[in-house]
Amino acid sequence: MMEAKQMVKKERTFQETPIIEEQNTLVESVPSVDDLRKRLQEIQTDENVIGYVLRSSDSASIDIKDPKRVIDYAVLSSSSFDASEELAKLFDLGDIQNIIIEGKNIKVLSLTFGENKLSIFMEKNADHDKISKKIQQP
Amino acid sequence: MDNEVYSFALKNALDEIRNTCPDVISTFIFREDGEILAGDQTTSENTFVKVVDALDCLLEKKEALGDLERAIFEGEKNRACVSRVDGLYLVTVASKNADTKYLDSFTRVLIPTVLKLLEKIQPVPPKTQLPEPEADIETPAREFEETEETAQEEEILPDMPANQFIVENLEGFLTPSDTVRIDSNVMSQWEKLFKDKKVEKVEIETFGGKTIRCKVKPIKNTKHEGKGAVQIPKKIQLALDIGKGELVRAKPIFE
Repeated sequence: MMEAKQMVKKERTFQETPIIEEQNTLVESVPSVDDLRKRLQEIQTDENVIGYVLRSSDSASIDIKDPKRVIDYAVLSSSSFDASEELAKLFDLGDIQNIIIEGKNIKVLSLTFGENKLSIFMEKNADHDKISKKIQQP
Repeated sequence: MDNEVYSFALKNALDEIRNTCPDVISTFIFREDGEILAGDQTTSENTFVKVVDALDCLLEKKEALGDLERAIFEGEKNRACVSRVDGLYLVTVASKNADTKYLDSFTRVLIPTVLKLLEKIQPVPPKTQLPEPEADIETPAREFEETEETAQEEEILPDMPANQFIVENLEGFLTPSDTVRIDSNVMSQWEKLFKDKKVEKVEIETFGGKTIRCKVKPIKNTKHEGKGAVQIPKKIQLALDIGKGELVRAKPIFE
């Protein structure tokens, strides 16, 4: 009986360490809102990028070239995240890594960085893979 | 060729996609108005309806986006892709390990080929067809109960068309609990088909087999018009054991 108890205790101690390490790694890999803004400033120099919507838990930054489209694009951004959440639930997609919405007029790349949700709007001919890499690995 | 044959052909094409790419988890086809044309056997119809409902918010954003051509939702486990093929939307859900390039190319060839073939056999778009009124139809519809007046006139009416609708809630202080609301275009199509007889009642049938007859009026709210929706009061929804977002059939009743 004593042996069994000791084994359980030992296993618990052994499991605790990697969980903490994993959490630390996760926190480090998520860029802050400021980091994202800096990267977005660089990305916006691309002529095919129309603008972006960045939402954090308590604020939102919107930078769209055509001010008339601000509301349309903000709604489109939240719609794409809403749709992804529903599809993730229905088909067990897991955590959504990225969303690409292509319409007849524009293309939207949406990404999640922890609690921050980012949608980048671009022309149809823009290379969303290149933009995605730039925003994720500066 | 009726809708069933159309659905059967598309369903076979979808099954072929799953046979060729075992990593495909689910696949189905729907029209922009939300009508589901065909889907694989393993996924429930209810799931298809929920997916269409979830995508509706993107399909509506025409002003900002234009017509939705492709949407990819990449999760850490699986990937869902919605692509527009010849005016229809094909949804494919596959595991992350699936060869997406091969799968995309395959579906982009197979589905348009099947659609073109079907179009050649019968050149009409794949939607719920209302039969044209024909003077030489010999037998009236099974469900149609002839009134004395119609029998005297020896009027022969065509088959009752049944359309698919997505259930929406009908709420409001002055909303009668025995009346459903249907798209005015569908109602006028029915009336045209039945020589301008006014459609006052419909039969609603669920996929579980429950039916109910109730009064019908055209949809008032333009938000729900042209989307293949039927607005049903809560009381009728409870009687039919259905809820918002589910699929039902409705056909006109002339008494």
